[in-house]
Amino acid sequence: MTILHWIGESIRSQLLHVPLLTARCLFVGLLLVLMGWVVMLPSSQTTPQGRKFEWYEDLKIWAWVALMFQIIVYCSF
Amino acid sequence: MTHLTSIDYLVILAYLATTMAIGFWVGSYVRSGSDFFLAGRSLPWWAVGMSLVATDIGGTDLVGVGGDAFRYGMVMGNFEWIGCVPAMLVAAFIFIPHLWRCKVTTIPEYLERRFSVHVRVAVGGVWLVLMACNLGVMLLASAQFMHELANWDLSVSIIGVALLVGIYTWSGGLGAVVYTDVLQGVIMIGGCLMIVVIGIAKLGGIESFIDKVHVAVHARENKTETKPATELRNDENYVEQAYAENHPFTDHLSLVLPVDTKSPGPWPAILFGLALVVSPGYWIGNQCIIQRSLGSKTEYDARASYVYGALLKGIIPFLVVIPGLIALVMFPNLSVDKAGGALPLLVGEILPEGLRGIFVAAFLAALMSSVDSYLNAATTIYVNDFYRRFYRPHADEGQMLLIGRWTTIGFVLWGVYFAYQMIPMGHTVYSLFQTLMSFVVGPTLGVLLAGILSTRTTSKGAFPGFISGLMTSTSLFVLNSEYAQRLLGMGPLFRIDAPYLYYSIWAFLVTVSITAIVSYFGRPDSPEKERYSLWGYKPEEAIE
Repeated sequence: MTILHWIGESIRSQLLHVPLLTARCLFVGLLLVLMGWVVMLPSSQTTPQGRKFEWYEDLKIWAWVALMFQIIVYCSF
Repeated sequence: MTHLTSIDYLVILAYLATTMAIGFWVGSYVRSGSDFFLAGRSLPWWAVGMSLVATDIGGTDLVGVGGDAFRYGMVMGNFEWIGCVPAMLVAAFIFIPHLWRCKVTTIPEYLERRFSVHVRVAVGGVWLVLMACNLGVMLLASAQFMHELANWDLSVSIIGVALLVGIYTWSGGLGAVVYTDVLQGVIMIGGCLMIVVIGIAKLGGIESFIDKVHVAVHARENKTETKPATELRNDENYVEQAYAENHPFTDHLSLVLPVDTKSPGPWPAILFGLALVVSPGYWIGNQCIIQRSLGSKTEYDARASYVYGALLKGIIPFLVVIPGLIALVMFPNLSVDKAGGALPLLVGEILPEGLRGIFVAAFLAALMSSVDSYLNAATTIYVNDFYRRFYRPHADEGQMLLIGRWTTIGFVLWGVYFAYQMIPMGHTVYSLFQTLMSFVVGPTLGVLLAGILSTRTTSKGAFPGFISGLMTSTSLFVLNSEYAQRLLGMGPLFRIDAPYLYYSIWAFLVTVSITAIVSYFGRPDSPEKERYSLWGYKPEEAIE
């Protein structure tokens, strides 16, 4: 066994201890963190600058919808 | 094999004629190199967003993912969901606007401004070679699928597709690529949706379909469990026990699979390799993808295109993965070794004449939308990062347009030549080149993140960082090969069949580490270089 095998096997044995439910929570957690980040983005980064805009032009809403859909998917499958 | 009638061919011809018309219409507005390479920075978000998605789903992906879904199940959806959406949204609000503001045409050009010409040449050179070869590989792989699907001659498919794509890309450059992608995206989504709706209806609806997948998988694995999956999902004891055993329901209906799964998607590879390395590298560092956003008419359009693309990505797995699962139920005796033929079989089985033509048009649309993007991106890197940079630094816009069009012709010829050279390799060539592409994504992401997110990283750190990352992924690939294992008398480094996501993780980590260490101990770059990082950029000193 080489040093590379030893490193790989050590990481693998640690990961084997992680229950699949926890792994799924990590997937959903990543998406939730992104949702929180999107909500906190300043509107200057999510709306057109230098002109009036409609509510549906705020990208925050659509980014949030895209992430919400992902969360539903990863909770379902 | 699917039998196509004259109605099917009429549908296909109508699609091809419309594509060419759009290409020539856009081409009539092209007057300069800037128009050719960045569509004169005039592209609206909706066109760029659809183009991003259409480019990402190639014809070979369409059939290949269907086959992989037949073999491995829903896990392949990860490549479109968590393997795209988070990275696209982070790119939309951080990286794309910054690159757009830097007014660059290519990623290697940005890397020279931020670091040095060495980094530009290294990154540009590697991507150029890969993209040029990938052109031929995509042409060949798609011709092979068309041969299986409709018995089309290999040469007719290779030369026909290369000619059609070459003509409209030659005429309209990036603008033609993006606007034809819009049509191609709509046809691709429509064609796949048709198969999903008809297929699920034939299987008796969604719940019946899920149950039949469950039964088909268990029958294939010689298990006796045939209780409907929908009942099992509502059985709390079963769910608890299944999770405790790290084996919920059937793997075919789960996105999160155990570490030792046979599929290419164990959860650590998907989360750490795909979601955190390969996907950001692809959506931020792949010239083929990012070029259309750099051609957006405003910074808002550049951001919105990625958000729109992320929304569309939400539905794509249902369109490319579900057909594979429908095929699993309909052809339970089809060997997993022949999973690549699942989709052509399904098309022949469930679609009536006329609709088969729409699906073939959808396949061609997926294929052409990827080939045209790689053709245009390879041309842009060659002309901007090599021809103009080293040979004609003072070339005017007219000369750039002319050389851009000649280079497009050159790459079309190269693609056809390379496709013919690869014919003896058969079906393995596509997966081999996808693995090679994954070698580059991690190191590219490493130097890009180092350059954009830090003012302290230097050109003296980025160059060895990128080279080390490339060497890492290449070495892991070689050491994991059967030949090296026999030669060195050792076992495989990775336990899964296709560990390319793991190569990317290690290559990325090595790139970032070497870049950081060398930069820390070396002298800082000039303040001019730091202006190109996110924190060094000042709106009042807009970059021209």
